[in-house]
Formats: sequence, C-alpha cells, structure tokens
Amino acid sequence: MGIRGQVERRTFLKAAGVTVASLGATAVGCGGGTGGSGGGGGEVTIRYAWWGADDRAKKINQAIALFEKKYPKIKVKTDFQPYADFWKKFNTQAAGGNPPDVIQNAVTFLRKYAARNVLLDLNPQVKEGNLSTQGFRAGLEKFAEIDGKLLGVPVGSNSMGYIIDEKLYEKAGVTPEFGWTWNDWVAGLGKIKEKTGVAGDAGPSGIMYYYDLVLRQRGKAFFTDKGLGFEESDLVTEWTEAMKRTRSGLYANPKRVEQLKPKSATAGGISAGEFTWDNFSVRYAAEGKSSYGIAPIPTIDGRKTGQYLGSLMLSGTRRTKHPKEVATFINFMVHDPEVGRIMGYDRGVLATQKQFDAFEPTDKVSKQIAAYETKIAQSGVLEPITPHPAGSDVVETAFMRLATELSLGKASPGEAAQKFFAEAKTALSTSD
Amino acid sequence: MTHTMETRQPRPSPPGDRAPRPGSASQRSGRRRENLAGYLFMSPWLAGFLLLTAGPMAVSLYFAFTDYNLFDAPQWIGLSNFQEMFADPRWQKSVEVTTKYVVIGTPLKLAAALGVALLLAQSRRGQAFYRAAFYAPSLIGASVSIAIVWRALFTDGAIVDRAQTQFFGLNVGGWVGDPDWILYSLVALTVWQFGAPMVIFLAGLKQVPRELYEAAAVDGAGPLRRFWNITLPMISPVLFFNVLLETIHSFQVFGSAYILGGQGNPCGPADATLVYTCYLYQQGFENSRMGFASAMAWMLLIAVGLVTAVLFWSQKRWVHYEENAR
Repeated sequence: MGIRGQVERRTFLKAAGVTVASLGATAVGCGGGTGGSGGGGGEVTIRYAWWGADDRAKKINQAIALFEKKYPKIKVKTDFQPYADFWKKFNTQAAGGNPPDVIQNAVTFLRKYAARNVLLDLNPQVKEGNLSTQGFRAGLEKFAEIDGKLLGVPVGSNSMGYIIDEKLYEKAGVTPEFGWTWNDWVAGLGKIKEKTGVAGDAGPSGIMYYYDLVLRQRGKAFFTDKGLGFEESDLVTEWTEAMKRTRSGLYANPKRVEQLKPKSATAGGISAGEFTWDNFSVRYAAEGKSSYGIAPIPTIDGRKTGQYLGSLMLSGTRRTKHPKEVATFINFMVHDPEVGRIMGYDRGVLATQKQFDAFEPTDKVSKQIAAYETKIAQSGVLEPITPHPAGSDVVETAFMRLATELSLGKASPGEAAQKFFAEAKTALSTSD
Repeated sequence: MTHTMETRQPRPSPPGDRAPRPGSASQRSGRRRENLAGYLFMSPWLAGFLLLTAGPMAVSLYFAFTDYNLFDAPQWIGLSNFQEMFADPRWQKSVEVTTKYVVIGTPLKLAAALGVALLLAQSRRGQAFYRAAFYAPSLIGASVSIAIVWRALFTDGAIVDRAQTQFFGLNVGGWVGDPDWILYSLVALTVWQFGAPMVIFLAGLKQVPRELYEAAAVDGAGPLRRFWNITLPMISPVLFFNVLLETIHSFQVFGSAYILGGQGNPCGPADATLVYTCYLYQQGFENSRMGFASAMAWMLLIAVGLVTAVLFWSQKRWVHYEENAR
C-alpha cells in the first residue's frame, strides 16, 4: 500500500488539539469597551444615542442640523439601534466607562442607572441657566426626579390605550366609551367573535403595562419603588382567567400571534384590539390593512383607569466631559418649537407647551393621539408614576416570556406565576 | 532521543523536549538565538493568544466565582453561581435544548455531508462546479444575514408554510413562531451548512485505494457492502475528526439561534431555542450578571471537554488507523 493511502494519526491528534483549544474561546465572553471621545480646538463633540428606526433617525438628524446651525461650536454624533440592542450596547459602554454623552431614556431604566451612578444630575445645569424646566405640560418636569436629582428631561408623554380595528368594531356594533367596564369589554369581545369570527383581543397576558393598570384599578401596582406590588395569587387568578378566554376564542390563537411577530396581532388581522401605548398607533396604520382607532381603557367602577403618563426622556451621562453642552443640547431638543414641528408625536405627545403648540397634527393618527391624550388629561384620571426599581427591565422581559409559555400551553398559570416570582426575586435582588 | 544540530535528522524534536543536548557553547548560543527568532516570529500569535484568549479566560474563571454586574467591583461568592445554575429551571431547559440540537443536528449534518461527498467523489463532468456549489452554503451559513433569510423562509405565510400546506395538507403555520417546530428549522439550518465536513470527507474518500474496491468487486461485494466494509472503515479517522469538530461546534451555536426567534423572541418563543450560549448571553448582557454568565461558560467548557474525552475514548472501538504503512 502506498504512502498516499495513509491517514496520519498524529495529524489528526494535532488537529483535534487545535479543536480543543478553540473550545477555550467559549469561556471568553466578558470584556470592557474602550474608545476615545473627540473634541478640541474650541469645538466640542457630544455623542447622542437613542433607540428607534429609520423614520425617527431622519427626524432627529433634521433637528440636529438645526441645533448645529444655531450652536456651531457643538457637534453632535448620533448612534441608534432597536430598543433591546440599544440597552445592551449602552450597558456595555457604560460599564466600560465610555457611554454616549446624551441618551434617550425611559422610566424603567431610571433607578437602575441611578443606582449604578451612570446618569448625570442636571440640577446644577438648571441653576446655571443652561437648561430650563419651565413650560412643561402636566408636571412632566418632575418626571425623572429621583432622590432630589434631575436625571432626565421628558421629550414627550404617552399613556396606555386600547388600539382597536375600527372596521371590526363597527361590523360587530360595539362602541367603546370612556368609563366602560371590564364586563362591557368582555361582552364586546364575545360579540366581535360571534359577528366577525375574529378574536376580540390579541391576549394581554404578557403586557406588563396592561397588568399594571388592572392592579392600579384595585389599589395595587405592578411595581413599588422597591419591588413587586402584587402577590403570586393575583397573577394566578389573572392568568387563569386569561387562559379561559384564550380557549374560548375571545383572545387570539397564541401560536398565530407568535408566528405573526414582529407584526402585531391586530395589524395582522387576527384580533380586533390590543393594549399598547397610544403613540404606537402610528405603527398599526403602516402595518395593517384596516383602519385603527384608540379606545379608552376599561374600568371596574366606571371611572378609575389607573392610567398615568409615561414618557421618553433625554438623560446625560455622568462621565461626560461636557455637561454644559449636554444641557444646552437637551434644552434645545425639548424647547425649540421648530424641533417640535419636526419630531411630531414620534416619541409621544410633545412635552413642552411651546412644542405642543408648534406642532399641528394633520394626519389622522396624530389627531387621534392628541384627542385621546387631551381627553384623559381632562377627565382627571391620571395618576403619578413611580419610577420602577432597579432590575425592572429584567422583570418585564421575564413577564413577557412566561406569559408566552403560559399561552402556548407550555406552563400552567400556577407554574408560570411561580416561575415569574422566582425570576423577579432574583432580578430585583441582583440589580442593586 | 539523541540528535544534534550538526546532523539534523528529518524528525525534529518535539516541543518541550528537555533531554540534555551535547554541543559546544557557541552551538548552544546559536541555538538560543534561533529559539529567540522563533519566539519573535511567533510573537503576534502569542500576544494575541495571551491577551485575547488566555487572559480573558483567566479573568472569566475568576468572575465565575463572583457576583459581578459590570458596574460594581466583583464580589467573591464561592460556588453560589454553580449552585444557582443547577437549581435554575431555565438553565436546565437550555441544557435540554442544546443536547437535543446536538444529538439531532450533528448526525444529520454529517450524514448529509457524507452522502453528498460520496456523490461528488465520483469522476464526472462538472464536478468542480458541484463541489463549489455545495460548499457555498457553509461559507455564508454562519452569517447573520442567512439566519434572517432562514427566518423569512420559515415564518408564517412564507414559502415553507405554503409548501407544507399545499403539498402535505399540514396547516401548522410558520415554524418560526411555533415552540414545537422552531428547533427543527434551526436544525435544518445547520444541516444545510454541511460544506466543511463534506470537503474533509471528500479528501478522505480520495485516499481510499481503488485496489480495495476492485478486489471486493471481484469477490462479488455490492455497493452497500463495499461502502460498509471498505469506505467506512477506511475513512473512519476522517469521520472521527468530523464528529468531534461538529459536535463541539454544535454546542457553541449562538448567532443563528438568537436571530431565528426574531426581535420579540430572541432564543425562540417559550424558550424553544434557548440554546446554552443564548441563555449565557441573556444572563451576561441583558441581565448584567457577568459572574453567572462566566460560571455558565466554564460549565460549558467542562461539559464539552467531557464529551470530547468520551469521543476520544470511543475511537479505539471504531476508528481504524493504518499504523503499518510507515
């Protein structure tokens, strides 16, 4: 037998050795980020990062162009990702000591990053006159104040609403009105199912902010400032009822809901409505074929909805070398009327009166949002919001995931609720 | 082992050989210089290894015994991470999903690779083109874009959904959103990337001496028998190598699993594609629990090391090396 027919044992052992070494790479998963921030020569560059998509990017770039024209010595570098990726990137950057100077922020993350000493207290900048807290609507300027520190400035406000497929509601003859009760709502779902064959709701089990409203109507809340504001038994009851409605077809087939993602069930035509933030209604018109409206939140007593204003905000980071420029930039973004005209209701209804007045909604969706927000503000149902405890972002993810396990039949209401409380406990205790 | 610089023998001394070397001082210094040059040439690789692999590994080993959230200094907590891990239902789930993926995916992938290699080993016109064509998926398969395309293929109302409804009357919807099916679309993705093992099989098949087949054919052995009694034993070292490599690779699957679930559901609906690394990533980068994630990484290293050891041990039962042909 010739040499060519020989398979060298050693070659294989060596190759196998290389393989084993390549295993080592598995164990390497952690590291910090490094990088430099620019600036110099009288010109200052600040970095601004936010989550969103292309349409928001276009608007923000327009607003920044305006800012740079007015403040030629400050340059703004932008960076954006989808929501989940944004926070992962920011987390890594912040841990590595190189976070962007300005970020888009939300109430879920305030305490988390306050506890980690990542956010810039803007109060000194307010005192120096670089940032104004005057002229905000509905007390929004207090929104991001934690332990006497001003950790963010709202750019817009939004609240939970019930997005409905207007055509299906009309066909079934159901008209939601302010002050309608949960019984009215369930009866409506049944009527829609009966008359149109489409499920009434997409299934709210995984929507933390929906459940928060339900709890608030009963005098509880999803979060206190330290932990969870409800009991495991509350959740078991809620989820047991939800499974009944899923089985009877009042809620859409969960498998189909999953398969439709990232499109929402209502835009995908397999349910007549779902709970979500009112400014998200923009998406439905773009994604779906029907026409969509915002209905009020059902109540227990015909009055209390448990609603509060949520908000996106701009925060500075503590490590920034240019706190003054950061404050100047934020000030411009929240107060300049022209910026309000450019941004519209993309990040909620504009937070300052000046911007709110400057933007006149012309399209149907923006008009609906404005009308809805005005109505709930006038009806006096709005409650103050509690900034969520550190770790609440992890809790929300777990809530969503376990609700999916529940609705797909992979866990019973009892099991899912038990898992949720266990995971929430870990998340809240390890995030301090 | 005796050899000197003057009479260089064809077989170089293995690394780490500490046998005393005869020779004058100048020869020794010459050797030292040569060593130095050697290390110098190695230095980029060495630096890369120390800084990017060994260093982080050591740090990660330390983190495994700490509570570390990226922001505050790590706190030593002993074996707590490991204790928590074993009690964690999601960790157990991730082990289950990964095992399933490895056990189903790897054999299918290797079978596909060997099958196609057998076809491509025959001399036929245009073989070079076919080889390139079948190898191509492996070049792009690990990329993010392919995972996205895969998601689009298996999503609701997409081509796979329509095909299964039309041709098989199966109305199960898209695989991607279905916790009972999504893992199989992930397996399909890995099977489709059989190019790398295929090329190795091909090289192995080319080395099987023709004489053996001719002799067997004369004795009246059919194609199946020839495959079973000649091809398989002759390529068993190649097969072993592929099994080893693909098993290790499968344990490390991440990107495709992460993307396939989609934005709302990284790692799949109801944790259906929660492969081990996906959970590790969630704990590390979403929950900021780098200590726990490091502990998980080391657990994976140990587990894959054990599996590798078992495979090596098993080879004496089924892998045939030709030691005589020296």
